[in-house]
Amino acid sequence: MILAVAGGKGGVGKTTLAYNVAAALDAVVVDADLGMADLPGGRGPDLHDALAGAADPRETLRAGPVDVVPCGRTLAGARAADLRRLESAVAAIERERGTVVLDCPAGRRADAGVPLAVADACLLVVSPRAFALADAIRTRALARELDAGLVGCAVNRVTEEPPTDAIADALGAPASVVPADPRVGRSVAEERPVVDAAPDSAAAEAVRELARRVPR
Amino acid sequence: MDFAWDVDREGDVSLVRCRVRNDDAVPRRVRVESRLDAPVLPPRRGGVPEDGWDESGATLRLDPGERRALGFAARAPPTEPPVEIAEVAAVDPTERSGDTDPGEGDESTASATAAALRRLGDHRPPRDAVADGSDRLADADPVVATGSAGDGGGEPEPGPAVADGAEPEPDPTAPAPPGATTEWFDAVDARLNAVEERIDRAERLTDADLATATEAVAEADGVDGLSGLDESVAADADRLRELSDRASALAARAEATDAPIEALEQLA
Repeated sequence: MILAVAGGKGGVGKTTLAYNVAAALDAVVVDADLGMADLPGGRGPDLHDALAGAADPRETLRAGPVDVVPCGRTLAGARAADLRRLESAVAAIERERGTVVLDCPAGRRADAGVPLAVADACLLVVSPRAFALADAIRTRALARELDAGLVGCAVNRVTEEPPTDAIADALGAPASVVPADPRVGRSVAEERPVVDAAPDSAAAEAVRELARRVPR
Repeated sequence: MDFAWDVDREGDVSLVRCRVRNDDAVPRRVRVESRLDAPVLPPRRGGVPEDGWDESGATLRLDPGERRALGFAARAPPTEPPVEIAEVAAVDPTERSGDTDPGEGDESTASATAAALRRLGDHRPPRDAVADGSDRLADADPVVATGSAGDGGGEPEPGPAVADGAEPEPDPTAPAPPGATTEWFDAVDARLNAVEERIDRAERLTDADLATATEAVAEADGVDGLSGLDESVAADADRLRELSDRASALAARAEATDAPIEALEQLA
């Protein structure tokens, strides 16, 4: 099972949710943001190397509370990365580990589209603001063209009651509300997923709900 | 079928241009094949060949009267003619499959990645944004490069030397123009002047009598203008001390170096 976490707009919390949903799914999270990686890095080969044909994709797996395939931080690496290798790289990791969560970049260029094309399903992250919804709708259209079925959308960092029904109607998938919780915000940097750090919190429950929507 | 071609040679590569026009009254499928002695390098977008191309040529679907221009490269010397029309077939006019053969349809659905790459914009940062190995050093740390050159640079030449810096092929190992160094030190001077002004003001307020203090406050447009002066001067003191330590350490190292450039140039 390959799940793409996408959302069009930057800064809505795609990486954070990808990391936490991967924790709930006991999956590997792959930092597919080739230009602006933000999952924890580390030593050793990364996704840039795998996509440049310089490393076996399985060598890039980095163990942790949530296993991560980190992505390089250099422009040269982003330029050398060949997206045509993404499908086989992700498939190799899927064979090894079962479930893979792809943290997609923002935008509508090839680096955002190819992960959607590779994925079996996608999860859209939207911020409760109207401008972010417009980008999510465009990403939804892109995912539909590329046959990545939408399993749900996460309305992230909610502080007051959002128009969940309107968002679900606009995107055509059940919308789950992830309440604003500083422990979620810190989870990636501290490598402590919220389902472990605060299993009883509302945010952890929301993450588990999103994970339950993902077919295995 | 109206057909014209043209071929250019560029190094080892032949660049072929041709134009096909369907002058029949019915749509036709046309197979254009290369006669060059090497695989066709077809037009690509995002690294993926355009629809209809393979390593020996292209298959096009042309509506009645439609004209199409195409081009490709091959690593082979030009031949006469470089391309030919290998096959013209009738097309069922109700079929709207574009340029692809029936056989290619399942191929394109098989690779969603290729479809995404073909349709979406390139994600890669532009080549110019990625410094290659040779000039990385010079780009990454201009201060170091110009600073070391400044010690031996002698006379500063502000105007023309800066213009020299924009030469089309800068040699990364050559010393940077002394003008750049001067510019850099001018900027440092300007910053130090700003700090000096702050310290002057703080000095005048230190143990000042009422008249001097009033004057200083008036000069700063009221007490509000002085708010935070003590913290920023204290921060200045820390930064300046650090800077002075580092600067003197660097100066000592710079003096201790003795790169045998002349000897190396003779050896090269």
